[in-house]
Amino acid sequence: MKPIMLQGHERSITQIKFNREGDLLFSASKDPKPNVWYSINGERLGTYDGHSGAVWSIDVKWDSTLFVTGSADQTMRIWDVETGSSLSNLEMKTSVRGVSFSYSGTMIAYTTDKMMGHNSELDIIDVREPNDIDATPIMKTQVTPNYAKALSVLWGPLDEYVVTGHEDGCIIKWDMRTGKKMEVGQEHTKLIKDMQLSHDGMMLITASKDTTARLWDLATLEPLKMYKTDRPVNSASISPLVDTYPHVVMGGGQEAMDVTTTSSRIGKFDARFFHLVFEEEFARVKGHFGPINSISFHPNGRGYASGGEDGYVRVHVFDDAYYQFKFDF
Amino acid sequence: MPSADEVVKSSWADEVEEVEGGNLPPPVEKNDGNTKTITEYSLNEDGKKVKITSHYRIEKHRVARTIAKRKTWAKYGLSKNDKPGPNPATTITAEDVFMHFLSNKEEEQNEQEELKKKLMDAQKGQVKCRLCKEDHWTKQCPYKDKLEPLRSSLLGDEKVEEEPPQPGSGPPVDKAKMSGAGTQGKYVPPSMRDGGSKKGESMMSARGRDETATVRVTNLSENTREQDLQDLFRPFGDISRIFLAKDKNTGQSKGFAFINFKKREDAAKAIQVLNGYGYDHLILSVEWAKPSGTQ
Repeated sequence: MKPIMLQGHERSITQIKFNREGDLLFSASKDPKPNVWYSINGERLGTYDGHSGAVWSIDVKWDSTLFVTGSADQTMRIWDVETGSSLSNLEMKTSVRGVSFSYSGTMIAYTTDKMMGHNSELDIIDVREPNDIDATPIMKTQVTPNYAKALSVLWGPLDEYVVTGHEDGCIIKWDMRTGKKMEVGQEHTKLIKDMQLSHDGMMLITASKDTTARLWDLATLEPLKMYKTDRPVNSASISPLVDTYPHVVMGGGQEAMDVTTTSSRIGKFDARFFHLVFEEEFARVKGHFGPINSISFHPNGRGYASGGEDGYVRVHVFDDAYYQFKFDF
Repeated sequence: MPSADEVVKSSWADEVEEVEGGNLPPPVEKNDGNTKTITEYSLNEDGKKVKITSHYRIEKHRVARTIAKRKTWAKYGLSKNDKPGPNPATTITAEDVFMHFLSNKEEEQNEQEELKKKLMDAQKGQVKCRLCKEDHWTKQCPYKDKLEPLRSSLLGDEKVEEEPPQPGSGPPVDKAKMSGAGTQGKYVPPSMRDGGSKKGESMMSARGRDETATVRVTNLSENTREQDLQDLFRPFGDISRIFLAKDKNTGQSKGFAFINFKKREDAAKAIQVLNGYGYDHLILSVEWAKPSGTQ
C-alpha cells in the first residue's frame, strides 16, 4: 500500500481523529495549529489558528460541525469545522488534557492538569449554543487529590457516564447524574496514554505506558483482553469491521527522549496488528521514524491513519493482502 | 561615504532570488479528463534547472450528501490559498510499504518437517542397522525383537562382525567397537576408551554444522540485535543459525556476528552484496568465517 504522508505540523503529533463518516481527518500536534484533512486524497482543508501552546487533545462532533481542542495554553477552543473560525475560547486555570464530545453532541467533558496548586478536574460544559457558551461547568468533579491526574476522557453511550484514564494506570467511570465514581478498572501499572471506543461503543481499548493495551467491557469495566508488546503503547484502535476482521492496531515505541539515540530499525516504530480475541500479533507496518503517538482505524475499517513523534501523519488504505490474510488458529 | 542611491539598490542576496524567479518558466497545469498533470520548474542545489512533473488521477466517488457538501467547503487557515486538490507542500505520497505478516504456524511446521526430511536424507548411507542392514539406527529396527536374539545366539559374546569405522558415524559403531574389545557391559573410563588415544574432536564440528557456509560480519553497531541481522541476511537464503556476540553484562552487541547459511551460494551472495554496505551509519564488513579450529 502507498500511504499518504501529511506534513502539516511542525512538531510531534499528539492526537489524530476521524470524523464519524471518515471523510475528514483531524490532527493535532505540539505546535499550536490543529489541521483538518480530506482523508481520501490527503488534501488539507485548513488549519485552526488561535492557540498559543501545544494541543493535547481534540474531538469532533458527530455531525462534523463543531471541533473542540484542549491545549497547554490553558484554553479550550470550540471551532466551526466549515470555516475554521473559533466560536468560543474558554479559559481554564491549568492546561486541558482531554476533551470529548458527548454522544449527542450537546455536552463536552474535559479534564485539566494538576498544576500550580490547582487540582486535576473533570468538568462538563453545555455546548448547545456554541457561539455563546457558559464557561461555568454544569458539573465539576475534583479528580486529585483522591485519584491520580486524569489524562484522557471518553463518553459512554446515551451520555450516562464518562470514563477517564489516569496517570497511575487506572480508569474510572463517573456517573453523570450524581458526579460520583461508579467503577474503577485497575489493571494497568503505568499511565494511560490513549483510550478509544469500539465502533459500536460497547468496548473500550486503553493504551498504556506499561507496554500493554487492554480491552474492556465499557458497561462494567470488566477487563476482557490484554495485548502485550515490548515497548510503551501510545495508542490503540479497534477495527470497525470487528465481526469479519477482529483486529486491533497498536502504535508505540520507546520514550521520546530515547528516540534520537536509537536507530529506527531497533526502535521498532511499526504499527502492530493484533487479533482481538486471540491476543496474538499477526502483522506489522513500517513507516514512521519516531514512535507512533496516535493511531486510528478509518471508520469504514478499510484503512488506518497514524501520527508520530516525527510530526507526520500517514494515511494507509489496506491492500488485498490484508483481507485475504487468514488468522491461523 | 556611501551615498543614498547606493542604498536603493537591492542587496546581492535579493538579486539572486529575483533572477531565480525570473528565469524559471511558470508552472503549467494540464487537465485532461481524469488526469491532471502539473509541470513545475525549480533550481536544485547545484543551480541547475529541474523540471518536476506530477501526475494526479482524478477519481469520482459516490458518497453521502453531507460528505459531498463538505468536499465543496472553501479552504481556510494556512491552506487558504491552496488550489483545489492536494498541495504538494503538505501532502505527499510516501514510498510503498507492505504489511509484514508474521510467520504463520502452519508454515513453520512445514519448514520443520522439511528440515527433518533433509536430515533423514543426510543420514542415509551413513547409518546402517547392524541387524537388517537398512538405513536406520539399530535401536529403531523394526525387526529388533526377532533378529537380535537370533544374532546374539549365532555370534556368541566375543566375535561380533565389525564394520570398518566410518568417519562421522554415530553411536552404534562406537558401541560395537567397545563390544569388540571384549568389555561389553563393563564401565570403561573415558580415558581408556578408543577415543582417548585420539585427539578430541571439537564440540563445534561434532554438532555437524556446515562451516563452509558461514559468514563473519564485523563493524556492526552496538544496537544491532539478532532480529536485525535476520532481516538483513534473510533475503539471501535460508539461515540455519545467527550468532551475535553480546556483552554478558549489558546485552549489547560487541560488533560482530556469524551467520550460518544453509547453502554456500547464498553466503557468497550475501558477502558480495553486503560487504561494504552502510548499515546504521557504519560500513559493514562481511567475509567468510575462518573455520573455528584454525583461529
